[in-house]
Amino acid sequence: MSVVVIEHLARVEGHGGITVELEGDTVANVRFDVFEGARLLEPLIRGKSYDEVAPTLSRICSICSVAHTLTSLKATEDAFDVHVSPQTELLRELLFRGESIESHALHLFLLAAPDYLDYPSAIAMAADKPAAVLLGLRMKKLGNLIQETIGGRAIHPVNAVPGGFGKPPTVDQLIELRSGLTQGMADSDAAIDVMASLPAADFCHSDTVYAALRSPNLDSYYSGDEVMAVSDGNRAIVHAADYRSLTNEQSLPHSHAKHSNFRGKPFMVGSLARLTVNPRRLTGRLAVAMKRLKFQLPADNPMDNNKAQALELISDVERALEIIEQLLRAGVKDERPVPIHPKAGTGTAITEAPRGMLIHSYTYDANGCIVAADVITPTALNAASMELHFRRAVEQCAEREEAVISKRLQMIARAYDPCISCSVHILRRR
Amino acid sequence: MKPRLVIGLGNPLMGDEGAGWYAVSRLAGDPRLPEDVETIWGGTDLLRYAGQIEGRSRVILVDAIESAAPPGTVTVFEDCAELEERQTNAHELSAAQAMRLLQMMMPVRFTLLGVAIWSATAGNALSPAVEARMPAILDRVLEELGWNSSK
Repeated sequence: MSVVVIEHLARVEGHGGITVELEGDTVANVRFDVFEGARLLEPLIRGKSYDEVAPTLSRICSICSVAHTLTSLKATEDAFDVHVSPQTELLRELLFRGESIESHALHLFLLAAPDYLDYPSAIAMAADKPAAVLLGLRMKKLGNLIQETIGGRAIHPVNAVPGGFGKPPTVDQLIELRSGLTQGMADSDAAIDVMASLPAADFCHSDTVYAALRSPNLDSYYSGDEVMAVSDGNRAIVHAADYRSLTNEQSLPHSHAKHSNFRGKPFMVGSLARLTVNPRRLTGRLAVAMKRLKFQLPADNPMDNNKAQALELISDVERALEIIEQLLRAGVKDERPVPIHPKAGTGTAITEAPRGMLIHSYTYDANGCIVAADVITPTALNAASMELHFRRAVEQCAEREEAVISKRLQMIARAYDPCISCSVHILRRR
Repeated sequence: MKPRLVIGLGNPLMGDEGAGWYAVSRLAGDPRLPEDVETIWGGTDLLRYAGQIEGRSRVILVDAIESAAPPGTVTVFEDCAELEERQTNAHELSAAQAMRLLQMMMPVRFTLLGVAIWSATAGNALSPAVEARMPAILDRVLEELGWNSSK
């Protein structure tokens, strides 16, 4: 038996290794080990008061701090039957769009594109292709600006609070964001050009179950109560409060993260799943961009998640502009958050974080202190699907050379945009 | 030109991983901090601060490093080429990569004060070893900003 071990995932070090065992040309075993930081942080919030939970859990990840903050707030509000104002919903969604623009731009241009073009890093790619790197940095900066202006801080937003919003943006701030987003419209088109120019990544085809929130209102799509799983024309709905019937988490000896399976099958979450579950979003500029990318649904290639992220860059910028216009038209009111009356009970929220569904579920005591917390990240939800796609890629690879297999598997891992040991980032000396 | 900036990187929920975060959050309230110095302590993604770094000639970073030196020892890196580019997570550039990328875009000089750490596991406090060294770490950051301990 020969064994291919990929300890470092696409320039990523730490827990997140892939082991492939080959018996002759047959794939005997594929194991993916992903270390999941979020789970380690759950005990840190036990006993904490409801208003301390979101600021603590936002620190699970710097890139997804808005998603963790807002999902946490929504779970808490669900537990206490709190309903926020339409203005708060709009401001929260704007924050979410900012995070998505930042995250997708970083992933596509500074992390994924170097893989396609065989550069060891974005720094190396910048020497030959500065325009693509600068485009990514410009879009990332736009996403940052939205989050900083609306959230009140560059990372870990302080304005999003239980029941409402702290300090709303001024008219001048909204006008500044609108100007940045106008440039962002042109940049999101340029992003499609860059993605369309990349070499094809056609080395993994597989029937895939996609799971994402169903969007009842295509205009505001970041949280919801219904998850839809789609596979080969079959559809199933799971309600947020019953999320465990979707995830069916299982501990496996080879993985730090639990694996999720729906009706016995792994499922994929993220941009590609969102577009598959909600294809009606693909109109206007997105439909044009789809053709330029040669992107079709249903997709059977996990690498298409990169194309789906590029399409979402367009819809994120468009939607952020719409929200700003709406806020400017209506005028931003200085609202106080809805008063919170803690009570014993459980609340659950699911949002569509940049890399897929994010679940927070809390049980509170009568004083509003956490008794139990369950945080399931998109990377954990994707772990079983990633493992399946690694296996398919090896099975479909005519070559048995370790370097070829390794490169392909790393590109698939990257396409999932995983969050691996995202709470740790220690530097090392050469 | 904007004033000098000190950025503390790290995750305060991962023990000593958050050494830079803890150091700069305390520095911000230190009466010895020169008035013309601004401070930020946030998360682990340096690139997120591109907007704040733009227009400054000097930025000092405080961050956790893996080192054979005793926990809490501060090592000064004037050139980020001395640091490995390897990332420890999948969707964020390492601070060393981010420094290089930012220097391609803007004329900024980075000085990294790397704090040797004891461990990086879930916990909302520094290890006793790094905590005990925190006054000396703050002195070292302030020295970098022109404060003289013999005064």
